[in-house]
Amino acid sequence: MITTTLRVAYAGSLRVDGSALTPAALAALPVARIERMLLPVGKESMALAELFTVTRQDDPRNSGAPAALVIEGDARRFDRIGAGSAEGTILVHGGVGDYVGFRMSGGSIDIDGDAGDFCASGMRAGRLTVHGSVGHFAAAALPGDMEGMSGGALTVHRHAGSRLADRMRRGLVLVGGDAGDFAASRLVAGTVGVAGTVGRHPAYGMRRGTVLLLRAPSRLAPTFTEGGVGFDVFWRLLTRSLTHELAPFAALQTNHVALPRRLTGDLAVDGRGEILLPR
Amino acid sequence: MMINDIPIDDTFAEAFPMKATRLLITAHTSNWALHAAHSLTGFATSVIGCGCEAGIEQALSAAQTPDGRPGVSVLLFAMSGKELAKQIERRVGQCVLTCPSTAVFDGIDPATTSAAAVSDTASLGRGLRFFGDGWQISKVMDLGAAAGSGREKRYWRVPVMDGEFVCEETATTVKAVGGGNLILLARDADAALTAAEAAVAAMRRVPNVIMPFPGGVVRSGSKVGSKYKSASASTNDAFCPTLVGLSPRTQLDAGTGCVLEIVIDGLSDADVGHAMAAGIGAATAGGKASGLTRVSAGNYGGKLGPYHFHLRELAARLATQGS
Repeated sequence: MITTTLRVAYAGSLRVDGSALTPAALAALPVARIERMLLPVGKESMALAELFTVTRQDDPRNSGAPAALVIEGDARRFDRIGAGSAEGTILVHGGVGDYVGFRMSGGSIDIDGDAGDFCASGMRAGRLTVHGSVGHFAAAALPGDMEGMSGGALTVHRHAGSRLADRMRRGLVLVGGDAGDFAASRLVAGTVGVAGTVGRHPAYGMRRGTVLLLRAPSRLAPTFTEGGVGFDVFWRLLTRSLTHELAPFAALQTNHVALPRRLTGDLAVDGRGEILLPR
Repeated sequence: MMINDIPIDDTFAEAFPMKATRLLITAHTSNWALHAAHSLTGFATSVIGCGCEAGIEQALSAAQTPDGRPGVSVLLFAMSGKELAKQIERRVGQCVLTCPSTAVFDGIDPATTSAAAVSDTASLGRGLRFFGDGWQISKVMDLGAAAGSGREKRYWRVPVMDGEFVCEETATTVKAVGGGNLILLARDADAALTAAEAAVAAMRRVPNVIMPFPGGVVRSGSKVGSKYKSASASTNDAFCPTLVGLSPRTQLDAGTGCVLEIVIDGLSDADVGHAMAAGIGAATAGGKASGLTRVSAGNYGGKLGPYHFHLRELAARLATQGS
């Protein structure tokens, strides 16, 4: 397995486009070539060697394993890390900028710190874990796009900003802390779980999909109606599917949490979505 | 060759390729899962007239099922993937969807539960969902690992009068083996039934196989063809006790008063072989005093199928296991 490690050396204030930083792309290049790669910085570009210190490890015992990319240091000025990534592992020991995992289609990204806006936007497959918080529009669609996240899993251990999973189409989004206003707005399908509180207008305009709120919101739109009972089998499957996820959600099965209250809506649109609330 | 003084014929059972699937039916109680399974596997004794051969493989505890409820696993076999798909949809639609509290899942996990070669997938919830008349909803989940592994499956939730009918979107079909058989010859009906029941009980403990006939046993063993043009199969006159003095093909003597056959379908030829060996062992356990006079098998001279289960090889395997 080839592991490329980039230690952040850039301390400037301009945004850096890191979309070229995918594990597979870097593993295919010798270190000297990586160091000469040009990354867009503001309106200019800079050689990667001016932005990072590059090291390389090759573990022949795991020659078949997908490539890995490790980013060490404060990478919050770096946007689009792992964008379009289809395989391999990205580990970030620190925070990252906006659009991390943008339209990624496989592999995994694990971030120790926080991530900026549009984290996992347009994500199609794979797994993105943020141990800190994420900004606004996580797993959401870009302005003008029809769909946000369309597959894979985004797990946020702390908090999420507003418009979480806006127009999300498929996949799983779990937030261990709080979510901002308009969480799961215009949800097309998929599953969104929030363990903490949600801001105003949760699930606004949701068409289908499941919003699992472990704390009941202070107010829900009147366009949601009672969803009845009798969905025990689905609840069993859903809680089982979450047993490998964040602790508040994994505990749903181990604690044999009772069938939640179910509301369906948003009747202003398709109305086949559901909000599951603790009883 | 003899086992417990009972002759084992120097012949072989001839089996042929089939397509198969395993469905896991769960319900609020094991009783309701059994109701659905019995209904689904009813009228599924032979592909000749039923479209498929099906049977209950085993009861499942809550820990063995995807939704943590008690259940039953059933196996269905057909001559083609297309026919199997048709039978699955029709039988699940009429017998499981209709049965209170049930859910149904794909039971073939190529990684862990079967050595059978994966063939294709057949529609399960993909077609049945339309019963929901637009109220149905689906959910993609991975029950075995963290999400994002790429192994997620789609489940359909169809509103019904007791809540929701949940079923997986597709069932995996595998290349399988049908038509393994044992023919038990006995002094009379009592002896034949006792030996057959013991054999079936032993075979039911073998995974990945079913014995599709009533009680696992068939008395109307057939040969290919008939004197009548419209019949593709007819009675196996070589083993009919009333034709012992009439049929030129008879293989019976005057001391044989009853013959019963056990047909075995399995997910692989190894599974069928294991079941046949278990059946031979159990049927012959009572020795000559039990009234069992011979163990034989049906074949068509090797022209019907590529899987040949030689009785003496299976019996020798028994002897090896016993020693």
